[in-house]
Amino acid sequence: MDQPLETDAPDDALVIAFANGDSEAGQVLIGRLAPRLFAYAARVLNDRAEAEDVVQDTMMRLWKMAPDWRQGDAQVSTWAYRVAVNLCTDRLRRRKTRGQVDIDSIAEPEADLQSAVEQITEKDRADALQGALATLPERQRQAVVLRHIEGLSNPDIARIMDIGIEAVESLTARGKRALKDALIGRKDELGYEHDGR
Amino acid sequence: MAERTNWGMNMTEDKRDEAALEAFFDASRSHAPVPDDTFLARLSADAERVDLQTEKTFAAPRMVSPFARFKGLFAASGLSGVAALGLWLGFIMPDIVTNLSPLSEDVTTLSAFLPGSDLSVLSE
Repeated sequence: MDQPLETDAPDDALVIAFANGDSEAGQVLIGRLAPRLFAYAARVLNDRAEAEDVVQDTMMRLWKMAPDWRQGDAQVSTWAYRVAVNLCTDRLRRRKTRGQVDIDSIAEPEADLQSAVEQITEKDRADALQGALATLPERQRQAVVLRHIEGLSNPDIARIMDIGIEAVESLTARGKRALKDALIGRKDELGYEHDGR
Repeated sequence: MAERTNWGMNMTEDKRDEAALEAFFDASRSHAPVPDDTFLARLSADAERVDLQTEKTFAAPRMVSPFARFKGLFAASGLSGVAALGLWLGFIMPDIVTNLSPLSEDVTTLSAFLPGSDLSVLSE
């Protein structure tokens, strides 16, 4: 696949250009939005195929509403994240009603987290975090991913999740505590006590 | 809060955990799930297809008036109405028809309504 066209045009200008028949503007938007939305959805859903469905649905909704987009109305990325978050929430809730559980219950914390960091590789850390994320309640998981991995601001997350900034802070704080406990609880599973690094 | 020594620095347990958690976040960012080319190509195909659909979906309604589907009916009923009005006027006021004609009383043609028409050429 060809690389997306490089352009400095803001996202909303690209949406309007796309609505006016500029297909290259659509390609640039895909290049900008799809990887971020995919990374977010894959982390939250812990499933690549489902993440693809979410991103495809989100982009389709963007194309369909492009003719009605007004410059300055909203940030396109915030709008897209909001759609993706809602789609992920729907999927997580459907899983819950089907009785799917992401991961086993978290073990009691046994050691401090720093020793874990020192003894496992970066890839192990990424995998361990992904496993720990899957144990979080859905809203905490979404807030933590948006804030601490995707790097969005609290006001942006509040708009995306349709909650107040204080609620975002509460979700991320509780999420981080739960992550810490989950990661410490999995130290034996990760094997970092035996590496001796 | 318990003080611990790490990397030659004094850090509280919370700060150590915060730093450790940040290392996990860094690792996750470095190993972000990446969409494959096949999927991106599918998104591009969607965009191309929706672009065409957009023209049909959004351009077409702008050209179609809500009354457009009845325009034939309006035309037919208008023509019928005018014809009925003319017939009615002819019955109740026959003079108005004969007075409009510049020709003899027994000859009435539509050409009488054409301004500046020279009807004499017709009789030659």
